[in-house]
Amino acid sequence: MPLIEIKDASKGFGLPGERSEVLKNINLSVEEGEFVVIVGYSGSGKSTLINLISGLVKPDTGSASIEGNPITEPGPDRGLVFQNYSLLPWLTVEENIALAVDEVFKDWSSEQRKAHIAKHIAMVKLSHAAHKLPKELSGGMRQRVSVARTLAMNPKVLLMDEPLSALDALTRAQLQDEIADIWLNHKTTVIWITNDPDEAILVADRVIPLLPTSPATLGESIAVNIPRPRDRKAINHDPEFKRLRAHLITTLLDSKGKNKVKSNLKLVLPDILPEDVNSINSFEFFSRKGPKRRNEVKHEEVEVSA
Amino acid sequence: MHLIQRYKLDAIFLPIVAILVCCLLWYLIAGKSTITTKKDDWGDTVKVTKREGISADLPTPVETWTASKLYITEPFAKRGELDQGILRFTWMSLVLVAQGYFLALVIGTPIGFFLGLSKKFTMAFDPLIQVLRPVSPLAWLPLGMILFSGVKVVNGDGRTTFGASDAAALFTIAICAMWPTVMNTAVGVRAVPQDYLNVAKVLKLSKNKTLWKVLVPATLPYMFTGFRLSLGIAWLVIVAVEMLTGRPGIGGFLWQQYNANSYAHIILCILTIGVIGYVLDRLMSVIEARFKTA
Repeated sequence: MPLIEIKDASKGFGLPGERSEVLKNINLSVEEGEFVVIVGYSGSGKSTLINLISGLVKPDTGSASIEGNPITEPGPDRGLVFQNYSLLPWLTVEENIALAVDEVFKDWSSEQRKAHIAKHIAMVKLSHAAHKLPKELSGGMRQRVSVARTLAMNPKVLLMDEPLSALDALTRAQLQDEIADIWLNHKTTVIWITNDPDEAILVADRVIPLLPTSPATLGESIAVNIPRPRDRKAINHDPEFKRLRAHLITTLLDSKGKNKVKSNLKLVLPDILPEDVNSINSFEFFSRKGPKRRNEVKHEEVEVSA
Repeated sequence: MHLIQRYKLDAIFLPIVAILVCCLLWYLIAGKSTITTKKDDWGDTVKVTKREGISADLPTPVETWTASKLYITEPFAKRGELDQGILRFTWMSLVLVAQGYFLALVIGTPIGFFLGLSKKFTMAFDPLIQVLRPVSPLAWLPLGMILFSGVKVVNGDGRTTFGASDAAALFTIAICAMWPTVMNTAVGVRAVPQDYLNVAKVLKLSKNKTLWKVLVPATLPYMFTGFRLSLGIAWLVIVAVEMLTGRPGIGGFLWQQYNANSYAHIILCILTIGVIGYVLDRLMSVIEARFKTA
């Protein structure tokens, strides 16, 4: 049985009438210990997809389940690493992680918890900064704290929502390697979302493109059989890497070319009706209520090919 | 360097100029007394003081200073129940304000949290709050008197230590000073970033823990802005409250001196109230700055 399974899920937002469908026909199954990366354009519904798994968002149709149990709400068995780190700024590195650990391992002794926290801070190489506040750390360090916080909950699956996209290219490369190393040692299941095809192929066992049709849907998955640990310098000349990369990018680009976007245009008409001169009577002061408002909005659906 | 020196000099020099200009204007419209001697009907020589000016009863700056000197140079003296040093009066007012203000925070902050957390609560109570918010302290005080007419705490000697007027005073300060705390807390709670709430959800924090570990710290900066504004209002209200209840304090002193025709002391009181208000505001903004997170 797969660890995570999504069947025929779809999701849209907004009220009826102005509704925009984000995801359609989502089918995904992830085995235990797998490192899956989902690649897609910005704004194509990647975060919504990962929130279906984390439980922050519920699918409109279809189902999402973990180990066969339907996902109804967020829980510590699915550790979510946020794009913007989401560390609580009034807590130190240690306290941020402690918040998670104290909640998940309530029955542990306090020494056990302390050791567990220290272990995870050390794992992301931040022991020297354990008592610093998030604002005293660089972006890369903050994201490492966020990863440590999530791993410290011992989740069954690690969900990463564009974890590195707010970082500069160099820090990004370093963290990619670090997270890949941690995965090699831990073998936790990872579902990683990114908009960078290179990053995807570099870290993943399996890459799934999120095709930017409207609503978006998952493409065919691409297995990455490049041996680990992968050397970031050597891999650039690896023919397999080049082939996968070309394949992935073509898939994404092609589906974008075919894509038709339906867009709702709001046409706001001029908001004032001309005054009816004949209706003005002698009680001018009372009866004149100023220009009449039309307050009308027309909806028009326009098809645009992107 | 030159620029900084000039800026600092200006920061001291310009306010002094402004104060002097105001004093000059004050002097110009104030009444000036002329003392003449004349023989009355009995043949005795008497002094006649005549005040003239745009506002004849307004004392000049110098007269104000002479009349107020004693109150300022002996700020803690107690010469009688209604004749005390200016800081002694201020202290009495501050104690009352502190009590009322404390009540306002204790009541206002939870209300703010409820408003921020629950849409239904907001829908239910927002109209009520918007209507009660602009009501003047002068209007609340009589209601307080009626509400707490039965309150009477008597000490061993049979003297009332806490009566209806004290309760009404506290009630008035609390209910007037509460609103900025309520509104700012509510806004702060609504402004808590969704990310933080998501963290709480993903970690499955209990309601209690979410409140104390996430919501309260995230709202603190807003709460303290509310607290600062509330303190300003509490200090505003004190004068009205003391005038109406006749409690001794800076506002009571002001009203009593007006009734006693000693107008110079009114100006002393106004200036004192202003300075204390300013100091309180500065103190609160220092505390507020300490609680700015992120």
